Amino acid sequence: MSEFDPLSLFAILYESFGVWFWPAVILACLLLVSIIASVVLIRRKDLAFGRPVLIALAVGATTTFIATLLAPAWTHADLGALGSIVDVVAAVALALVPGAAAAALAFLLVAVISTGRRRL
Amino acid sequence: MNRRTFLLGGTSALAALSLGVSGTTAQTSDAPVNIVIAGAGAAGLSLASRLRRRMSKARITIVDAKREHYFQPGFTLIMAGLWQPDDVTESNADFMPRDVDWVEEAVAEFDPESNSITTSGGQRLGYDYLFVTTGLNLDYAAIEGMETSLIGQEGIASVYAGPEAAAASSRAMDRFLEAGGTGLFGRPATEIKCAGAPLKMTFITEDRARRQGRRENVELVYNAHNDTVFAIPPVNDKVETLFAERGVKVNHGHVLKALEPGSRQAVYETADGEVTMDYDFIHVVPPMRAPDPVRNSPLPWQEGPLAADGWIEAERETLRHPRYPNVFALGDVAGVPRGKTAASVKWQVPVVADNFVAETRGEEPVAAYNGYTSCPMVTAYGTAMLIEFDYEGNLIQSFPFIEPLEERWVSWLIEEKGLKGAYLAMLRGRA
Ligand SMILES: Cc1cc2nc3c(=O)[nH]c(=O)nc-3n(C[C@H](O)[C@H](O)[C@H](O)COP(=O)(O)OP(=O)(O)OC[C@H]3O[C@@H](n4cnc5c(N)ncnc54)[C@H](O)[C@@H]3O)c2cc1C
Repeated sequence: MSEFDPLSLFAILYESFGVWFWPAVILACLLLVSIIASVVLIRRKDLAFGRPVLIALAVGATTTFIATLLAPAWTHADLGALGSIVDVVAAVALALVPGAAAAALAFLLVAVISTGRRRL
Repeated sequence: MNRRTFLLGGTSALAALSLGVSGTTAQTSDAPVNIVIAGAGAAGLSLASRLRRRMSKARITIVDAKREHYFQPGFTLIMAGLWQPDDVTESNADFMPRDVDWVEEAVAEFDPESNSITTSGGQRLGYDYLFVTTGLNLDYAAIEGMETSLIGQEGIASVYAGPEAAAASSRAMDRFLEAGGTGLFGRPATEIKCAGAPLKMTFITEDRARRQGRRENVELVYNAHNDTVFAIPPVNDKVETLFAERGVKVNHGHVLKALEPGSRQAVYETADGEVTMDYDFIHVVPPMRAPDPVRNSPLPWQEGPLAADGWIEAERETLRHPRYPNVFALGDVAGVPRGKTAASVKWQVPVVADNFVAETRGEEPVAAYNGYTSCPMVTAYGTAMLIEFDYEGNLIQSFPFIEPLEERWVSWLIEEKGLKGAYLAMLRGRA
């Protein structure tokens, strides 16, 4: 690991995603920008962060849980293949990707709805 | 964009680490040397990409008649019925670096005495440096009665012959599991690429039978060519234990000599003479040797265990030819112990490229290849053992948290989702 090279990792991700690489990067950036924008909006409107954060956490956790259960099937394996802690940790780590995306989307939606209501 | 693509990110990171992603600060060289690379497979393309980036004034010519490029480790997943031939088929043109001349012919003759090669079209190409990356030849003809057109028929399977053959083998396996009977597996006595593949296909067939509720209908026999099923003792012990637990019978010292497809009989050479076995399904692994133009040249070992099959003589740490110092052999054709995997190529190419660049800069080449090779040994649908080792047979652990001799889903994940991206990045000289 001492020789770990981010450029190689980038190349491997690029090849693995194929034509989806740039759409994925753009989507991730859009999500990030929208989250920053909604944080700014919530602050400006002097709203509490509690509700959007809690809902985002709940949606993220649920998605992660479901994605963890589905991770073996994604690799043509069944749930029984998760036979050790390492396997479960790997499945959770993978599931965190859609989990985080879902959490970000939920945060965004709740923030937009809350700030919109306040405007009314 | 789907979840599959999304999750690939994490898997690729794992694959990157499993291939031992290395970040060397790459030096460059202005030497205007004339380089010929024979073979545009895993090693040839990967080397061409690395040298092109680092040697702007070198003239690089790559010689290979083949246009398709196969991700060969994926063949096992095709035979397992999980992937399609399209999933492993790429085009060489997409990975050919810019400013590399591609001669779309095979090398017909190597003449290291005159520093030249002759192509199948009769072109004579001179070189200052030659890198031989022709891979190996699958010698199906050495098994009497066997030919590749039989794969998929008469209960004959062979994962090695290409993606379509792997798909035909998958269908043959399904027919066998439906009808029941005896399935024979094994490997030849020669060196082979991915020595784990014959074992993987045995495990996959056994697991598929069990999952279909047909395990009782089939008898599975692994005919090992010598007294082990795998050359590394702890791996051998583990595989033999798993075979015993799963009711796979092992015969040692059996080398497939002939097939009689009509009567479904296989003839094996053993220490006690020839033994004939009936089969309903047989997974044939052909003897493997260096391609004929290599064997017919002065490049192979002249004596020792690697001489008979024509593997190119090479110093094991530098892959340089000891008799022709401007010649290097990489990948499957290299006459070094063990390393006939894409994982070996991943480690060999940077060593050779670093040393070559250093040498053409007038510096001492210091990089050394330790014989690293790896094979995610699939043991069932959904589990594999991530086996990695070096020349000495020492087990290496790229991840301290993945035990090499334990069946893990995470190792299967690397095989099923991670390796292809890492392999393609390697072809571009980026991993
Ligand atoms: C079923 C199977 C499973 C495998 N599983 C794994 C695995 O799990 N992990 C792993 O790391 N590796 C695995 N491998 C092995 C891996 O694919 C090979 O070791 C690797 O491709 C070797 O690279 P190479 O460049 O030496 O040869 P190749 O990639 O085979 O390329 C050789 C090239 O040379 C060309 N050539 C041949 N003769 C000539 C000539 N006379 N003139 C010019 N060009 C010529 C060919 O057309 C070809 O393009 C597997 C292989 C198979 C078949």
